[in-house]
Amino acid sequence: MGQMLNFDNVELFYDHVYALKGVSIDLNEGETVALIGANGAGKSSILRAITGLRKIKSGRIDFMGERLDGTAPADIVRKGIAMVPEGRRVFPFMSVKDNLLMGAFTRSDKADIARTLDSILTRFPRLKERYNQQAGTLSGGEQQMMVIGRALMAKPRLLLLDEPSLGIAPKLVQDIARAIVAISRDEKVSVLLVEQNSRMALSISNRAYALSTGSVVLSGESKALMNDDRIKAAYLGGEV
Amino acid sequence: MEQILANGLYLGAQYALIALGLTLIFSLMNVLNFAHGQMYVMGGFVTYTVVAQFGLPFIVGLLASAVVLAVIGAVCERFLFRTVIKRSKREESTMLLAAGIAFFLDAVILLVFGEKQRGVPKIVDGVFNWDMRLIMPYDRILIGALAIAMVVGFILFMQYSRTGRAMRALAQDRMAAQLMGVDVDRYSMIGFALGAMLAGIVGGLLVTITGINLGMGGPTSVKAFLMIMIGGAGVISGAIAGGFILGMMESIGLTLLAAYGDVTYLAIFATLLVFLAIRPQGLMGKPWG
Repeated sequence: MGQMLNFDNVELFYDHVYALKGVSIDLNEGETVALIGANGAGKSSILRAITGLRKIKSGRIDFMGERLDGTAPADIVRKGIAMVPEGRRVFPFMSVKDNLLMGAFTRSDKADIARTLDSILTRFPRLKERYNQQAGTLSGGEQQMMVIGRALMAKPRLLLLDEPSLGIAPKLVQDIARAIVAISRDEKVSVLLVEQNSRMALSISNRAYALSTGSVVLSGESKALMNDDRIKAAYLGGEV
Repeated sequence: MEQILANGLYLGAQYALIALGLTLIFSLMNVLNFAHGQMYVMGGFVTYTVVAQFGLPFIVGLLASAVVLAVIGAVCERFLFRTVIKRSKREESTMLLAAGIAFFLDAVILLVFGEKQRGVPKIVDGVFNWDMRLIMPYDRILIGALAIAMVVGFILFMQYSRTGRAMRALAQDRMAAQLMGVDVDRYSMIGFALGAMLAGIVGGLLVTITGINLGMGGPTSVKAFLMIMIGGAGVISGAIAGGFILGMMESIGLTLLAAYGDVTYLAIFATLLVFLAIRPQGLMGKPWG
């Protein structure tokens, strides 16, 4: 199990305001790592830095032993990193089919794409039912399944998930958590999960980092963190 | 009646092609291309030069118009709009740039092609006559059919090709498209080239019927904006609807209102004002733009 992603001492600004103050995290092949913390703690900034949507100010990011920061977003997808953005960001006036096909934009082997499409429709049968419907007409939960499927269409080695439970009906959150576990197991894809729902995130990850105002304040095995008093007080308090 | 419908269909197909180019550029880059009419005129003069000056077949002229305008569009995006969009967040900047390009192209057309009205010899002779109920010269029928074929071709391209899908994705959610691996710069350039090419093709088509002159650029831009205001900016179906509606309105107006003088466009503008007051986003447009 080699190291896949190394995020080393990264600083990132939004209009002169610190978003990340020297954050270091890493992720090994096959692992699911969670980033937890309040709104504005810098979790999403880490994902945006990895995907190249935001330029980092200092530090470096390596993926599979190659330097990643400074690469254009489109090329980062080609290296095997796919992201499910916060708020789902479906293409609302395109069919479910076209949304999924967009996920495979960087691939060219048609037969191989068809196989991936098939496996995603088997995994999320709802998408099969809605196959020719405009994505904007799906429910929040269906949209979330679709964008996870869309990201998988790229056949990524690393899947970034930004708040997959946000705005989803509570009983569907469990379905999504189960889907994430199943995907990381079946597709041999590593997962970096950003979640405000810390209980869910810790229950399905191997390790986790807790962030606060742009810094890592705690990290370790998710099981251990779940019983950590500081984590309980700060992140698991309100939820039972 | 049949005559009015046929004229409207013929005009509408040309208009729809012009509006499609304009709306494509708008939806991809949020740029209002005020130079669209000048690009149309440029296309007309290129076909004129190839067909009337060099004596080559019409289809060669049409292809030349398509290629020349695609290159002009690509250059405008790559060296002008891209730079301005990167440096300025204000929408007026690209509007001013587009207006500047319109004046510049007018000047270039004047310099290269002169101020005279130009046309090419009829590409097919003869007139279709159905009992005096519907009279249409064969060349109009051919040009109308070509335009309709291109509208259909464009829709199929946007709907089923990988490039078309990427452009639709880019128009609907720029950030998500980037996350799918779509190179925004590259596809903006392709989109701009395609939009300019459509304008150029219509110029090439219509030079065989109505001829072309320097003064047609501005009015064509105005008509193109009318069409996407009717149909809804940034929506393919809206551009097509807007094109055919304006074509029909013109056809009806020119027949029925002719007795009252040159009032067709006055009536169209008045109708549009009322329509926009009731439905500012146009027929198919989304309220959020």
